[in-house]
This record gives sequence, C-alpha cells and structure tokens, in this order.
Amino acid sequence: MKLLRASFENFRLLRDLELKFSSDPERKLTVVRAANESGKTTILNGLQWALYGDAALPGKGEDFRLHPIDWDGSGGHRVPIVATVEFEVTTYRRGPSGLRETRRKFRLVRSAFEEVNGKTSRRSPSTVRLFALNDTGASPIDAPEALINDELPPELRDIFFTDGDRALSFIEADVAVSTKRERVQRAIRALLGLGVIEEAIRHVRKASSDVNKQAKQIGAGSELNKIASRLEAIDEDGLKLEGELDDAEQQFVAFDEKVEETDRKIATALQKGDKEKLQKDLELALRKIKHLDDQLTAANKEHSALFRGQYVATDLLSPVLDRAFGKLEELHDQGKIPNTTIPVLEDRLSAELCICGETLKPGEPDGQRRREHVQRLIDDSKRVDEIQEIITDLYYGAKSLRPVSDAGSRWREEYGKIVKSRDGLQVLSDEAGREFRALELQLDALRDTDIQGLREARRQYKDQRDRSLSKQSSLGTQLAGLRREQEVLKHERDRLLREQEKGARIIAELEVTQDVTRVLQSAYERITHDELKKVSDLMNSIFLEMIGADPEQGAIIRRAEISPDFDIIVYGPNDRTLNPDRDLNGASRRALTLAFILALTKVSEVEAPNVIDTPLGMTSGYVKRSILRTAVRESAQLVLLLTHDEIAGCEDIIGEAAGVVLTLTNPAHYPKMLVNDPHVAERKVLRCECDHRHACRLCQRRTDAEAALGVAT
Amino acid sequence: MADRYFNPFQAIDINVPVDLHEAFTRYCQTGGNAVIDQSPFPRMVDLWFLAVCVAARLNLEPVDTAQYETRKIIDGSIFGSDPWRVHTLMLIAIGKTGDVQIVSEPRKMMSIASALAVAGLPKVNEMLKNGNAEPIWNLSDAIDTALRSPARIA
Repeated sequence: MKLLRASFENFRLLRDLELKFSSDPERKLTVVRAANESGKTTILNGLQWALYGDAALPGKGEDFRLHPIDWDGSGGHRVPIVATVEFEVTTYRRGPSGLRETRRKFRLVRSAFEEVNGKTSRRSPSTVRLFALNDTGASPIDAPEALINDELPPELRDIFFTDGDRALSFIEADVAVSTKRERVQRAIRALLGLGVIEEAIRHVRKASSDVNKQAKQIGAGSELNKIASRLEAIDEDGLKLEGELDDAEQQFVAFDEKVEETDRKIATALQKGDKEKLQKDLELALRKIKHLDDQLTAANKEHSALFRGQYVATDLLSPVLDRAFGKLEELHDQGKIPNTTIPVLEDRLSAELCICGETLKPGEPDGQRRREHVQRLIDDSKRVDEIQEIITDLYYGAKSLRPVSDAGSRWREEYGKIVKSRDGLQVLSDEAGREFRALELQLDALRDTDIQGLREARRQYKDQRDRSLSKQSSLGTQLAGLRREQEVLKHERDRLLREQEKGARIIAELEVTQDVTRVLQSAYERITHDELKKVSDLMNSIFLEMIGADPEQGAIIRRAEISPDFDIIVYGPNDRTLNPDRDLNGASRRALTLAFILALTKVSEVEAPNVIDTPLGMTSGYVKRSILRTAVRESAQLVLLLTHDEIAGCEDIIGEAAGVVLTLTNPAHYPKMLVNDPHVAERKVLRCECDHRHACRLCQRRTDAEAALGVAT
Repeated sequence: MADRYFNPFQAIDINVPVDLHEAFTRYCQTGGNAVIDQSPFPRMVDLWFLAVCVAARLNLEPVDTAQYETRKIIDGSIFGSDPWRVHTLMLIAIGKTGDVQIVSEPRKMMSIASALAVAGLPKVNEMLKNGNAEPIWNLSDAIDTALRSPARIA
C-alpha cells in the first residue's frame, strides 16, 4: 500500500489542508517541513483517524476534541470533520505470462460531526466509506475495514505511523521488561501473520473435538463413550483454563507495570530529599535571611547616619572652617582667648604647690604672697566679657571640628566601609534568598508526594502481581495435568475406536487433524524462529549502519538483536549486554527503534508506508544523515514530518530522495517567528509549495536571534 | 556633655521656602518614609544642615529668604542635642563674615546659615535625584565627587 493523497477538513489545526505523497519508487521520500505547533503530529493523528477511527486517537478519542479550538459558531454549532486518504494497493497474480502486477487506487473518507456547546463538545460516531477509483469514477466498496486491516493491520499502527519519541517505547527503560517484550512481540506477531496461524491451530483443535464427539456417539454407554466424554470435558476445561491463563498473564503484565511505575515515583520522591530535613533547612535558611536582613538594615542606618554625623560637615566645610579657626587662633595668639590656666591655677592653689616648685602654703609669708598673686590671675581671667567667654568656649569646644591636615576625607573613608559592608551583605542576602526559594520548591514538590501512600500502593500492586503469577503457575500446572490425561485418554480412545467397525473413519479424521496441527505448529515455530531471526539480523545491520559513523557509540556497541523472548538487546565488547536507556545516547536509541521498525516492515514484505513524526530529533551530524539515508533506502514509502532543525545538514539527501517536499506554516507564529503577516485570523495551518531550501512570503521565518530580540516590534 | 554647651539658637525657628518643603517630606525619615534608601536623612535638620554645608563648599551665592514665602520646618532647640552643629554654625558665620564678634548675634548667624541652606537645597535635591540608583546612593556618590574636587573658595 502506498499513500497518494490526504485531505483534512476541520481536523483541529487542519481546517482545510491537502497533502500529496510521493509514490515514485525512485524518489520515495515525502518531506513535510513544519516548525513546532504547525500540524506535524496533527497530520499523524489525522491519517490514523481516517484509517482506524477513534481507537487510533490519543486516549482512544475520549475527551479528544477534533474540531478547531477557535471554532466560533459562525459556521454553525455542528462542525463537520472529514479526513480523506487516497492510496494505492499493488497485487500480484500468477498468470500465463508470468507474475502480473495490478495497481488499484482507493479513496477512504471518514467523517464525523462535533456538536459544539460552549466549551464542551460531543462527537457523533464516525462514518467511513471506501471507494475504488478508476478512470470512469469511483465505486463504493462494502466493509472498508477489511481492506484496511489487510493492508495496514491495526496492531501495526505504531510501525506505520510513528511518533519519533513514542517509537522509543520498544526499548525505553521506564516500562517493565514484560511490557516492552509484549510490544515487540505484538508487532512481530501481527506483521509476520502469526495470529493467522494461531487461529488456524485453534480451528483444527475444534475440528478434533468435533471428531471426538462422533466417537462418543458410536460407543454409547460403552467405555469408548466414557472416554470420549471425558476428553470432551477436558477440551472444555482446557479452553477455559487457557482463557484464564491468558487473563492471568495479562494481569501480571498490568500489575508489573504498576509496580515499576510506583517504584519510579518513590525513587523520584526520595531523590527530592527528606521532608523533615528539608523543613529544618528551610527554617535555618529563613533565620539566616532574617539575620542578614537585620544586618542590612543596620548597615542602611549606618549609611543614613553618614548624613547626620559631623564628618560630612567638617569635610565639606573645611575651607570655611579653616578660615574661622584662623581667626580664633589670631585671638588666642593675642591672648584674648584665655588658655586653660584657671583650672590649673585652682588646682595648684588647692595643692599648695606652684608649677615652679615653690610653696603656696597660706601659713608661710612667701607662700601667702604667691597665693594672692595666683588668685589675682584667676580673678582677672574670670572677668572676661560675654563674647570672650563664647569665643573661648568655641575655641576649646570645637576642637573636634578642626581639620586634620594629614588625613584625607574621613567621610569618604566611612562611606567606603559602608559600601563594602552593604554590597557584601546584599550578595549574602541574595544567595540566602535563592537557597530559601530552592528549598521551598523542593518542599512544595514533596508536599504533594505521599511516600507512605506510594509504598502502600506498591505493596498492593505487588501482591496482585504475585497473585497473578501464582495463578499462572497453578493454571499452567492444571493445564499440563489435563494435557497428560488427554494424551492417555486419546491413546485409549484410539485403541477402542480401532476395535469398532465405524471407528476407522473417525481414527483417520483424527489423524488428519493431528497432522494438520503438527504442520501448523511447525510453521508457527519456523516463522517465529526464522523470520524473527531475519528481522533481528536486518535490524542489526540497519542499526549498525546508522550509528556506524558515531565513534563514541561505535566503540561500545557491537551488535543488536531480538531475542527469542522478543527482547531487543544491544551488545557491547565481549558480548556484554548494554542498557539501551543508560548506555546509548539519544541518537543511537532513536536509530535502534527506527531500525527495528524498518526491518520489521521489510521482512514482512508488506508494501506499506512509514509515516514518521520528528524522527531526527536528538540526532546530529553524520549519524543524523546516516539515519535518514538508511531509512529512505529501507522503506517502501517514507513520509517524514520534519522541523527546520531536523532538515539542517541533510538538505542534499532530501534533494536526492524526495519526490514531494512541502511546507506548513502556523500563522499564529507571526510576528514572533514569522517575518510577514499572513493576515489570517483563524488558527489554521497553511501549506505552501516551498521545498526544504526555500522560503516564500508566507513561510519565511525569523532566525532565533531575531525572534529573541523581538525584531517585529 | 550637651548640658555644658550653650545653644544660642534655642529660640530661633528655621524656615525654608514653601517650594523647597517637599524635599523635606520626601527625603527625611521623619517625614514618614521608612525606606532609608529612598529617604536618606534621619531628620529634617540633617537635610537642612547638609544644604548649608554644600552651599558653603560650592561657594553658592546665599539666598535672601525674605523674598520667599517660607514655612518653619524645625526650631533651634534641635541643636541642643548636637553641640558640634552649634559650633559649626558659629564657625561658618565667622568664616563667612571674618568677624568674630558675630558669635554674640545668634539671629545673624542663623540668617547666614539659612541663606546658605536655601542656596544649597536645590543642589542637594539635584544630588539626590541625579543618578540611576536610589536617592541615598545618588547623594553619596555626589558628595564623594564633591569631596574629591577642590572646594570653591570665594
């Protein structure tokens, strides 16, 4: 099957979009160039919805709106949604002149209505119709699902329609081993047709039961009848037990996944830290902030005090003060400002000893004389007028205001200290604030996480998983017992049948059913073994080719394989297994999953398209080019939905391999990311024919730097 | 210690032109503004006194306050708690007039200081506003610059 054309009407962002796909075997690549939010994933969803209906939508279509989000009701409240896909199916028929190839074209139309009522909407079940296209027109075909299921089995949706990120689900580490295995197994079984053989085996077993019933009828009431009846009952029990075993296996997988998921949640919660310790750290951080705030406030007050202290005045006024002090010094020199003799003289009088060492004792004649002289000096000094007193007071009281000749500005010295202190404290305060906020975020994250509750949930899931496992073992044992009993009874029944006249025919029929079962079983095993090996080998060669140029990965990766248990395993030196999630870089992981998808498609010999959304994310350089080149070579039809960044560096490969390249643009990106205003008010994706090297007025984009600078303004 | 000093300005009101009054409410913490970086002066007297000092430093022409409508912002009793300011005002008066006898005339001394303050206030206002930072940093930088530059002496 090859995709030829698709069109969408009112499918989310795709209000009115038509796409053509290259079906040229020489240029089998179609590239849809689109930036983020420009409809790539919507196209992937739209194609799948057209082919498979609501079941193919995210969440199986539950609460998944299809109509454009800005539908304003002006076009009515019932929104018609239509997706049309035209495709070509090639069939081969052996004719007289050899193998004859026939190509037939079909058009599949899926439509639905969504009733929009304010913010809610309700979707009617979709209607699908299929038409065979020929030169004269279109003829409707009944049961379109049958054709689609034949050409693109729904189990293989993930293989044909791949989201680059979701494709990693085949190897990602964050799901249980059993889940990955089941995904790989399901894909392989569907593509290799193992389901058909399983169905055939079931059918033959039923036929065998029917023959057993005939055996029961011919020996009514006899031993043969009893044995046949027991075999019949065993068949019924066996079917019932197989069904229960199937359920138990599925339950085990489901609970195993839950256990793994809860383990991850617990690990994440524990990584965030211990709640009590965090709370304590938070309190400490808060105290630190408060302490620093107090210090900052004190430093601010010191800064403010600079404007009320005397340094600012004395430093600014130094020339004026110099002049004033000069005047005072003159007075002092003239003796108009008394010195501090009065207290000294009074002190001497009370000590009764002069400065010169002579006595000032009042009882001695010389002493008395000298005392009277000193007393006169004191009295004279005390007689100075009011001005003299003020000036004297000023002269002595303003000593601290005198400029210090050899010192610089004392205000500037203090200011320097304050700047240093405030700046330093501010840095510490900012750091403490950041620390506090980080702790708060950690604590907030923890508040939502109930580790105890998670542990309890894990215990319950584990109990249920273990019960499923136990049930599996029990059922498996019962089935083995039944089979053993069945073998013994069959042997006995066949012996008794041979003794009966009518038994020969029934024996022959039973032998046929046994032979057919053996053939089918052997075919099943051969396909499982041989074809799985083919997929495994091809995946390995594609993968190694894709990453061959990556010296970093090339050094550690030796080969990859799919094990008989359907595990995708990567081997390093000395056959040591590597963990794809831990030991492989992003590009290699993507290469491995794409290699698996391409190998599976190729080995199945199903001619089917591979539509891949952002396959080259996380890749760069030679590996990116190698992945693209190999994917083009291995796919029957490759449709890639690529961003501009993914295209960068691969232009020449696209130029050689692509039969169709088109560009999609979201007008809402103007003015931030688009250069020109598309003048489109609705939210919709617009198509232009620009290829991967060109841009037109519609799709011309700003460079990242321009966008960051907001050039549009 | 303050008790030892005589405050000759005790009974004198300090007035500033009404137009300049806004600066006192805006830049003084006693005007009700608690954010120190926005209102660097603890009290109104600090702003007034800085204006006197700046005018003297820059040798600005004293402004005759009589030509303005004025309003009292503080009274002279405020100097009782800062005796160095009393001495500074007296020294400014002596420095500006060259007459020591002026110390006996408190109103004359205050008049000289007020004329300088009114001359200096617009300059201080400018210092507070000019710059990219908060007023306290703008003012600090301006004073730092003024102290680095030689004083203008009449």
